[in-house]
Order: sequence, then structure tokens, then C-alpha cells
Amino acid sequence: MIPVRWRASFSYLARHRWQLALSIVGIAIGVAVIVAVDLANASARKAFLLSMDTVTGEATHQVIGGPRGVDAALYRDLRVTHGIDDIAPVIDEQLTINGRRFGVIGIDLFAENAMRSFTAEADSSGDANAIVRDFLALPGAALMSRRSADSLGIGPGDRFTVVTGGQSAEAVLVGLFGGDATSALDELMAVDIATAQAWFGMDELLSRIDVRIDGDASAFRALLPDSATLLDAEGRTQATLDLSAAFMTNLTAMSLLALLIGVFLIYNSVSFSVLQRRGLIGVLRALGMTRREIFVSILGEAAVLGLLASLLGLVAGSLLGEQLLGLVSRSINDLYFRVSVTDVSLDPVTLAKGFIAGMLTSLLAATIPAIEAASLQPRLTLLRSSLEQRAGRALPKVALSGIGIMLAAALLLMLSGRSLAAGLTAVFMLIAGFALCVPLIAKRFAARLESLAEAVGGTASRLAVAGVGSSLSRTGVAIVALAVAVSATIGVSVMVNSFRVSVDDWLGIALRADVYVSGSGLPISDSDRQRVISLPTVTAASTSRLARIEDASGTRSLLVIDMAPDAYAGTTLLDADPETTWPAWESDDAVLVSEPYAYRFRVSPGDRIDLRTDRGMRAFTVLATYQSFDVNASGLMISRSTYDRHFDDVAIDNLGLYLGDDSDAGAVVEAIEALPGARLSATSNRAIRDLSLDVFDQTFIITDVLYWLATGVALVGILSSMLALQLEKDREQGTLRALGMTRRQIAGLISTQTGVIGFISGLASIPLGLVMAWVLIEVINRRAFGWQIDITISPVIIAQAVLFAVIAALIAGLYPALRAARVEPAIAMREE
Amino acid sequence: MTRMNQPEIVASGITRTYQEGSRRHTVLDNIDLQIQRGESVAVRGRSGSGKSTLLNLLGAIDSPDSGTLVTCGVELTDLDEHARTLFRREKLGFVYQAFNLIPTLTVADNIRLVLELNAIVRSDADARIEELLGAVGLEDRAASFPDILSGGEQQRVAIARALAHRPRILIADEPTGNLDDTAAENVLELLEQLVRAQGGTMVIATHSTRVAAACDRSIELHNGRLERVE
Repeated sequence: MIPVRWRASFSYLARHRWQLALSIVGIAIGVAVIVAVDLANASARKAFLLSMDTVTGEATHQVIGGPRGVDAALYRDLRVTHGIDDIAPVIDEQLTINGRRFGVIGIDLFAENAMRSFTAEADSSGDANAIVRDFLALPGAALMSRRSADSLGIGPGDRFTVVTGGQSAEAVLVGLFGGDATSALDELMAVDIATAQAWFGMDELLSRIDVRIDGDASAFRALLPDSATLLDAEGRTQATLDLSAAFMTNLTAMSLLALLIGVFLIYNSVSFSVLQRRGLIGVLRALGMTRREIFVSILGEAAVLGLLASLLGLVAGSLLGEQLLGLVSRSINDLYFRVSVTDVSLDPVTLAKGFIAGMLTSLLAATIPAIEAASLQPRLTLLRSSLEQRAGRALPKVALSGIGIMLAAALLLMLSGRSLAAGLTAVFMLIAGFALCVPLIAKRFAARLESLAEAVGGTASRLAVAGVGSSLSRTGVAIVALAVAVSATIGVSVMVNSFRVSVDDWLGIALRADVYVSGSGLPISDSDRQRVISLPTVTAASTSRLARIEDASGTRSLLVIDMAPDAYAGTTLLDADPETTWPAWESDDAVLVSEPYAYRFRVSPGDRIDLRTDRGMRAFTVLATYQSFDVNASGLMISRSTYDRHFDDVAIDNLGLYLGDDSDAGAVVEAIEALPGARLSATSNRAIRDLSLDVFDQTFIITDVLYWLATGVALVGILSSMLALQLEKDREQGTLRALGMTRRQIAGLISTQTGVIGFISGLASIPLGLVMAWVLIEVINRRAFGWQIDITISPVIIAQAVLFAVIAALIAGLYPALRAARVEPAIAMREE
Repeated sequence: MTRMNQPEIVASGITRTYQEGSRRHTVLDNIDLQIQRGESVAVRGRSGSGKSTLLNLLGAIDSPDSGTLVTCGVELTDLDEHARTLFRREKLGFVYQAFNLIPTLTVADNIRLVLELNAIVRSDADARIEELLGAVGLEDRAASFPDILSGGEQQRVAIARALAHRPRILIADEPTGNLDDTAAENVLELLEQLVRAQGGTMVIATHSTRVAAACDRSIELHNGRLERVE
């Protein structure tokens, strides 16, 4: 049988269902957000690994070439001359079908048995051989997963159009992938290698050669020319995955914020329940219940709350994870690598982590109120004013400990070098430290606001404001929760805005040309280039090529530029004199490094970087660091002439056209796109800039979603606090009603109170928000991505945040206000 | 006392019932009562006899299920909740056993609140607060908060608040119930003196024979019925 003291506890909870429900909802949202983010991250990671595993198959190594790929002759040489069977040629590219991005793997079916076990579902006639026959014989023959085919509305035998390099080509679906791995192959199609070579303009070229080597690879490596290298397949996959690590860590940190705000909610709820039961606790203590028993019973309640909330959070998190998955995978696709993932995989480890976080959070949050309940003297438990006074007296000490935590955070930031985890820990310490200072700030501020309120709205207004300061044991935590949520909004908004302004400024400098021309994913042919630069209004042109060079240390993106005279000013050199740097860059074996690259690899001017060229490994001198928002921290800039000395790659990806004065960029764009037979896409400077900022904004959608969720938790906190406060204030409000206050005036009183809570929270959030912005910009962004952003503080963001806090509080206070207005004046007559 | 000849409260056949689970419980049963202007009446009876319910009805806090109730010439049963609130604000004052002062307002502001609700201008309100605090002997506690006052002092503030806007009727529910004998005596004297000085009517629910004796008349409730009128 349940002991009576436990029943006393739980009957209290049962009688305060609203409070109970709101606490559960608050912590459940916190758990849901961390579970959802973790599930989305893990699912994207798992889908990528599964897809890579299936595509890589039995290959242990891969032979890769220079920027253009691997010469197909090398494959023939290895197979025919050296008699190596366990190799397979691969084209690995991307194209679009109905506007959707698909991966393409071009394979030689005869070489595949040694490497991959792609199987196809038998067709309606049950003849799998027919599919193989069609795959080899039909032009544009392709295989894809059933889900991909269904999503495109096609089936075996159907023809469809693929777009690559701005050109359309016809494909035919000859069959569907079969076997267990079919879900790993979503949004990927397999075609014959000759088809892929034709579609991507890779005659006599391969993306890579897959190799299966048992044991020592040195003998195989010795067969390769300087222009090719052998890499470990698993290592390549991991290196690709590692690119997104900082992105995923930042998402996880953001999800923890929602849980942190949930901590305040549980703390609020439990401490309020202790306050309300001071009489009961006093009686239980008088009857002989020990401090320890009181402590355990309060923690027991929190454990039950935590249990219910965590279970609810797991369910909600699984559902939310599906929604976040789309946003996460889109960002990963935009920024890092191609991943197709449609289903959240319910990872038991993630669920266990979420459950434990929910339980620990609840118990941690309840510890302080439980200690307080256990430490109360029986005679004091009957006096609420003494509790409030005690809380008031404790505020300076609490604030002082908050300042201590913030100083420790500053110390951690200074001493933690480049650790992202330490940087994020410091952010949370700053939040926690500041949170401890907020109640004192709120009390002092509310006291000052009282006389102002009286001057504006009379004694009733003063009553509303005074209620905030004098009930800090209940309202304080709500103020803290909202202040933390709003400060996070300020911090992230200032960071994103500063980032946006910096990117916009950078684009303004970097985009020097009037019109940009690309081959829509494929190199621009020499004849097309000639036709474009011969247009009458074109006075000069830059050319660029993005060449990827990969070796065992990772992938570098080599930006190969032939600068027009006006183009040099488009690159901001951060640590060298442009006058001397540019001539050396044009003539010497030298490179410029992007700011993120310099940070990540600790490279500075004068250092040398070894690059695998078509002539073998060569050392290049670093001349300067250039400003760049290179998300993969892999960018190097090299002059066309230097590049041509070391690489057999004459391809050009883009042209930057400089027009004569008064030329119409729009007319030039139209003229280029109208060139007969050209595979070109032209965009004006303005359009590129707008497009870039659109992509930028898209990237931060998930950030917004997570902060809205965190704010949602804070709103639940306000609602819960105000409702709890009403329970205590029934008699006071009943008296006011008896004295002649109308329902509307009572509702106005409560709304004023919640508005003041919102206003104080909003103001309190400003300093923390700005400090958070500074840390996010100067520490987190630097450590995660290596770039530096100038901080831009927009007063509009600050004003919006304060306004948002007030409106949010007013909305959360709406129901409590209506409820208070319904309090009957007769309640004041009842004996206490 | 010419004004005592005019009835201030006329209750005719008022009944109030409450639903308790499946059965209806009659708290006041067909009460007829007249209270003259300027009269002080003690309402007596055991706990649960219906005293507080009667006070709620007379104080326009609640409405009877049947019967009529005319207070200060106004038929209260015709008024909706909002109109009753405005009536209460202007015509009535309340003193409670538990004082019910607003803990977050100073003594002066507790009184000022009622004056503001009645749209008394600031300078007049200041003068009235000073006058009332002088009358209840708490002129030096104007800036104090209620929680540092003794029970007797708190009740004196409550009386000052109840009379601040010069109500026609003062409703007091066990005003001395939480006080020691000396404090109770002081409060009773104050009520007598101040209400009489304003020519007001006073209805006091009490168990105390001393309080009842100080009133012009006593009525006694027994199981919701008016048993005895002295």
C-alpha cells in the first residue's frame, strides 16, 4: 500500500492538474527537441553511411585522379596490362529530374560482380536477365529504388528526362533496385558508365576506380602514375561525414537550450508546490517526518513528473524528428554532401539519452526546492512572509554566485583554445550565471517601476507592478525562463544579422563582374567562351575553375582564377600587402588560403602547402589569407597560369564579364542565353547576390525553428507561473472584487502584471543576448567554422525582442487573467 | 435619529440554495429583514447557519435564488454582475475577519485604492487618508506594509479602507474574530464611532455577545432561517 505521506504528495499534484500538466508539457518539449535533433542528425548520418556502404560495396580503396578525374586509360592498363580483376570504374555525379537533385553512379556491369551487389527486382515477366540486357543495350537505361520511382511517378519501362549541364537527356527506367539495401539508394540512379560519361562530358574519364585489396596495398600503389592516388574507402567516407560535425554539434547545443529552459519550468513548479504546501510540510515535520523524508518525497514527485514528461517527450521527439529531418538533410545537402533520408530511424541510444536527460533535468531542478522544504523549521513553514523574506535575503547571494559562474565561463573561454565543446559549455555557463542574477535585477527594477506605474495608472497599476517584485519566489523563475529564451533570440538574431551583413558586404566586394556565366554544372567550352567574350559590350573577363584535389589528408577546393584587371579588388587579403602579393601570386608556385582554411590548419603567410598535382606532389607557398565564408574550410586560391603549369586541366567553370559603361547587364544575360547551341547560364551581379542571400536565409530556418520551440517552453513557464500565482491570490482578488473592482479591472491588473513580467524579462535579456551574440560570433563561429564576422547590433532586433517578450507574456497571461476575473468576491469572506 | 426611519435594506422572502452533489442544500430559507438607515445590526448564529451567505447577499456579492432585496433604494436582484460591482464600489464597505489587506501595498495605498476606484481626486484622497489614519490612530504607519503590523493594527487599517469612500452600509464579517480582547475592544469602538459619525448602516456577523450588545439590534440565524430578532 502507498504510504500516507506519498498519498498526501500525490493528492496535491492531482488537485493541481493544470500546474502538473504544464510542467510535464514544458519538460516534454525540452526532451522532444533534443531527441528530435539527435534523431535527425543520427538518421542523416546513418543514411549517408548506409548509402556510402552500399555504393562502395566491397571496395576497400579508391583510385582518384586530379581535378578532371581519373584517366580511363589507367583503368584499362590496370585490368589488361597488369591483369587486376578486383577493380571497377565509377562515375559519381549529380543531375536533376523534375527539379529534384539525384545522385548518379555510372558503372560497368561486367566489372561489378567483384565490387557491388546491386540487384534488381525481377520485372513483370519474372526475367531478371531481361533487365540486365536492357541496361546494357538501351541508351539512357537506368535503375533506381521503387520509392524514388514512385515519387517521380514513373515505373519500369517509362521514359523520363534528366538535366545535366543545362542540357536535357532522355533516360529510361529499365528496373528497380532489389534486395535489402534499396532504402539506402533513394534519390540515386545507376546507369551504364558510357551513358554517364556522355551525360557529364567525361569521355575517357572516370570519377574514380574502386579497388578491392586484401592485405598490403603498396604493390598496387606502385602501379599508379603521379596523377593518381590510392585512398582508403572508409577513410574517405568518414572525412566527408566529418565535414558536417560542427554543424551537427551546433544543432545539438541549440536543442539543449530548450531543455535548459525546461529545467526552470520544473524548478518553478516544484518550488511553487513546496511554497503552497508549507502548512502541510509544517504539520508533517511536527508529526515527526524527518528532513530526509521530506526531501525524498519532494524528489519523488519530481521523478514522477520527469518520468511522465520524458515518456511524452520521447513520443513527441520522434514525431518532431521527422519534421526536423527535412530541414537538417536540406542544410547538409546545401552545405556538405548529398544525403537522401526520408525516414527517422528510432535509435535506442538517442531515445535513452533523451529519457535520461529528462529524468536528470527534473531531479536536478527539484533538488533546490527539496532542500529548502527539508530545511524549513516547523514554525516557519506556517509563515509565508518569512519565506518570501528569506528568498529576498538570498537574492544577492544567488546573484553573486551567478557572477562567479559567468567569470568561470569567461575563464573557460580564454583557456579552452579552439575547443567547440568548451565554447558551448561556456555559453551555457553564461546563461546559467546570468539566470541567477535575473531575480535580483527584476526585484530592483520592479521597485523602481512601481512609482512610475502609480504615476501612470494609479494605485491599481502600482498594485500590479508591486505584485511582480513581491512574489519573486513564484514569478522570478518565469522571468528567468523568458529572459533566457529572449536573450537566446537576441544572441542568435544579432549573430545571424551580423553574419548576413558581413556576407552581404563580402558579396558586394567579391562580386566585381557585371555578369556571371556558367556551364550549368559542366565546363564552358572554348568556343562558347570565345563567343561570350566577343560580345560587343564585354570589355574584360575573368575565368574561374573550381578544382577538387583529394589526398590522404582530405579534400582541397582549388579556386583557379584568371583575373581581369578589375577582379583583384574582389578578394580581400587579410594579412598581406596586395601590391606585392598579387604579382607573386600570378607568377610563383603560390596560393592564397581562405580564412577558415588558415584557421583550421593553422596556416599563415610563408608556410608551404603540399598539393598532389598531375606532376606529383608539389609545395606551394602561402602568400596571404583571403576573406571567405568557406563552409568546408578547404579553399585555396591559385592563379590560372600557376595551375596550368601543374595540372593538365584546361576546363573553365565560370566567366565573370566586365561590361562597358552604361551597358545593360540584363541585355547581355539575354544575349548569352540566346547564343545558338551554347550550354550556358548567365546571371547578373544583382541576381547572384540575391540568390546567395536566399541560400543564406534558408540555412538558418532550422535555427529559427529551434528557438521558437525554446520560446514555447518559456511561454509554458509564464502560463504555469501565472496560474500558480492565481491560486495564492484568490483571496486578494476576491477582496478587490468586493471593494468594487470590476472583472475587467481585475483582468487588466493581471495582464499588467504579466506585461511587466514580459517587459522586465525583455530588458533583462538584452545584456545576456548581446554577450551571447559576442560569444557566438567571436568564439563559436570561429571555432566551428573558422570565419570571422563583424558584429552588427541592430536596435530593431533589440526592440523587437523586448516587444516580443511583452507580447509573449501577455498571451501567456491571457488565460490566468480571465481566470482571475472570474474569482468570486465571496471568496474573501471565507475563513483562512 | 430621523434617518433611522427610512429602511436602508429591505429583504423579502430571500432564499439561497447550493447544489451539493446530487442534492440541493438550502442555506437561507425565505428570509424577511428590514434594516433602517443608520442602524447597526448584529447577525448571530452557529457556524454554517448562513451568516456569511446572508452577508454576501446584503453586500451585493451574491444574488438570491428567489425573493427581493432592495438596498439603498436599489433592487439588487435586478442588477447584473457588473452593475452589482459598481453598486458595491460606491455604496458598501467591507471589513473581514482575516483583514484581507493587500500585502504588496502600503497602509496608505490600501486605503487609496478604494478612493481611486471611486474616482476621488488625488489631493482629496490624500487628505482623506490622513484623516482616516488619524482617526484609527495609525498616522505614523502610512508607509508601512501590512505584514509588519499587529492584527489589531491591520484591522484598523481595514476599517479605514472600508470607510474611506463614505459608504452607506458597512458589512463586517467577524471583525474581532482574530483579535485579542483589548484589540477587539478598540476595533469595536472605532467601528461604532466612525460608522455612526458618517451616519452609516452597519451589518456585523459575529459570535461575540459583546459585539452584539454594542449593536442596536441582533438577529439570529438557525439552519438558514431567521429565528430571533431582538
